[in-house]
Amino acid sequence: MMPLTMAKAGEENTIIKIGGKEEARRFLKSLGFVAGSIVSVVSEMNGNVIVNVKGSRVAISREMANKIMV
Amino acid sequence: MAIKIALAGNPNSGKTTLFNGLTGSNQFVGNWPGVTVEKKEGKLKGHKDVVIMDLPGIYSLSPYTLEEVVARNYLITERPDVILNIVDGTNLERNLYLSTQLMELGIPVVMAINMMDIVEKNGDHIDINQLRKDLGCEIVEISALKGTGIMKAAEKAVSVATRNTSAPVHKFSPELENILEDIENMLDAAIPEEQKRFYAIKLFERDDKIAQTMKVVPKVEDMIKKAENALDDDSESIITNERYGYITSVIGKSYKRSARGQLSISDKIDRIVTNRILALPIFAVVMFIVYYVSVTTVGTIVTDWTNDVLFGEIIPPAIENILVSINCAAWLQSLILDGIVAGVGAVIGFVPQMLVLFVFLAFLEACGYMARVAFIMDRIFRKFGLSGKSFIPMLIGSGCGVPGVMASRTIENDRDRKMTIMTTTFIPCGAKLPIIALIAGAFFDGSAWVATSAYFVGVAAIVCSGIILKKTKMFAGEPAPFVMELPAYHMPTVTNVLRSMWERGWSFIKKAGTIILLSTIVLWFLMSFGWADGSFGMLEAEQLDNSILASVGSVIAPLFTPLGWGDWKMAVAAVTGLIAKENVVGTFGILFGFAEVAEDGAEIWGQLAGSMTGVAAYSFLIFNLLCAPCFAAIGAIKREMNSGKWTWFAIGYQTILAYAVSLCVYQIGTAITGGGFGIGTVVAVLVVIGFLYLLFHPYKESTKLTVNVKKTAKA
Repeated sequence: MMPLTMAKAGEENTIIKIGGKEEARRFLKSLGFVAGSIVSVVSEMNGNVIVNVKGSRVAISREMANKIMV
Repeated sequence: MAIKIALAGNPNSGKTTLFNGLTGSNQFVGNWPGVTVEKKEGKLKGHKDVVIMDLPGIYSLSPYTLEEVVARNYLITERPDVILNIVDGTNLERNLYLSTQLMELGIPVVMAINMMDIVEKNGDHIDINQLRKDLGCEIVEISALKGTGIMKAAEKAVSVATRNTSAPVHKFSPELENILEDIENMLDAAIPEEQKRFYAIKLFERDDKIAQTMKVVPKVEDMIKKAENALDDDSESIITNERYGYITSVIGKSYKRSARGQLSISDKIDRIVTNRILALPIFAVVMFIVYYVSVTTVGTIVTDWTNDVLFGEIIPPAIENILVSINCAAWLQSLILDGIVAGVGAVIGFVPQMLVLFVFLAFLEACGYMARVAFIMDRIFRKFGLSGKSFIPMLIGSGCGVPGVMASRTIENDRDRKMTIMTTTFIPCGAKLPIIALIAGAFFDGSAWVATSAYFVGVAAIVCSGIILKKTKMFAGEPAPFVMELPAYHMPTVTNVLRSMWERGWSFIKKAGTIILLSTIVLWFLMSFGWADGSFGMLEAEQLDNSILASVGSVIAPLFTPLGWGDWKMAVAAVTGLIAKENVVGTFGILFGFAEVAEDGAEIWGQLAGSMTGVAAYSFLIFNLLCAPCFAAIGAIKREMNSGKWTWFAIGYQTILAYAVSLCVYQIGTAITGGGFGIGTVVAVLVVIGFLYLLFHPYKESTKLTVNVKKTAKA
């Protein structure tokens, strides 16, 4: 298990757990970030990441990406 | 009987394009009551009795964002006859998450799958018949961009609405279904049969906002607790997981993916554009091109033409001829020519330049690059308490503050949005450029550093305000984590870009037609009338010192003496800047006795330079850049803040900041340039110290708060 910020670009990972504040977690869920979803990192910038999840592209700041465990 | 169609779908699913395609120009734009979420309504082309309501773009029907609450309140209370759900075919799984929730509402749903052409091009395939069978609703393939299939989708919606059949509902796992059925049976009989499932699910999710709307709320807490223990998860996550589980099973049967794992074109572009090293240089180049074209080349050519030819050689003489030929009274001629035409014309002159800028921004927005810009800038903006999304309003604000402030709507977090609204107008807008040109020309030999420093002062004001405000109680706390969907890159259509440009440009033109028109009339009156030769009446141009305006100006002028420009003419010019910033130059022109001046006021440079020192002029410039924006922008701030109190706070903050900075510049600047050391210098130094304290003192409020929380927790 590691935070999403550590994942290599292009590699596919499965989400294990999402932490953080309730509000942000709910928003992530509606975007497709649930345990079991497959994510892959498209691009990384100082810890901010762009990932592919359920066919859509989502940008996440480092603080949030650190709370998504894969 | 009119049929109401509600258009619902994810952001970036092509909803707006579909809405424009279905309704054409037959639209009515407003706000949802009480909130600053845009409400669009239109009549279906060729069907006078079919109304289409464009709901805000949402990802789910949960109660956590303003858009979601607005959309679901509309669906629950207004009950449209049918929901037209637009779904992005390239992103079926995520889009169906909303669809499954829409189907629970007991309103017939017609699904329009968009971007089918792209799905096919990617080599994927969606089995529409299978999907129709599994979801139990009508499905139409469309391409909103090309306009294919959209009328068919609308007609299908109309026919489903008249048949009035409810959409069949999907099933979750048996354990969950049993609980939901139990809750449904406990519901008040007043709730119609077809809506029971929606209420049951919302009660299970502990959705307070829905519970509040119900007359009788059954006691279900024990049942939820039991289910949570049995399924080892919180009730909301149970529903979310069940939903995605159901969607996966549906898609497994109907969605054939060919090229899995391969990088799409958008991914490849993102690899380069959001690259750690290249992102900022690419962004800088894009912005340079945008501003180079819209400000210096194309923009200047069209602006010069409207100012010099259209409002110089064509319109004024034409109107004058008409007025003379109908024997119009002299005062009315003066009002129309010197007041209205000159005033409004000066403002309209900026429109072409602004439209060119807005075309570029609309293109960058529609093709998907703007969303990446927010991502790129987020790291930097976070350092002073703003989010990357604050950058887009500021970018647009460099053209005109009104659409800039309006663009702050895309920021979901309330604190971040309010802060963005307060700071956006610090960036010098197009209308402030003439003031910069005037001061630079009259006092600093047209030196380029004046304009550069103006932008620097604007950016510094934003950065410092971000840091200072973040330390106050109102804005305390971390900015919301940055999570944003990035749409796939695509070539926008010409009509969409032009439409977006026009909507922004129109908000500026409307301002010219209303507020500015009115204020130029008032200003003209104040300037042209007064007490001369012992009686009240219209003045000759050289009697300006006797005008009402001069009297008003003399009263407020002492306020600005500490800033170095206590002359009534300066004070009046600053006040007319509230009407529209470009008025400052025009007002100087009139006050110094020139009927008309060039945009940069070259004719009055000599007189102006003689009336104050360079330091005072720079203080005047800074005050005008930072103080309250023009009336139209204040109006926009009021609309977006949706609160009179916050509007006053924003304007008050801006003006006080402007006053303080100008004071320091003048007093300390004068002391340095050999003007002597006085009481003013002491005050200025104190202000600087106070400012530095605000900037660097630790986050007191928030630490106190956490300590208190911890103590209470222990106690």
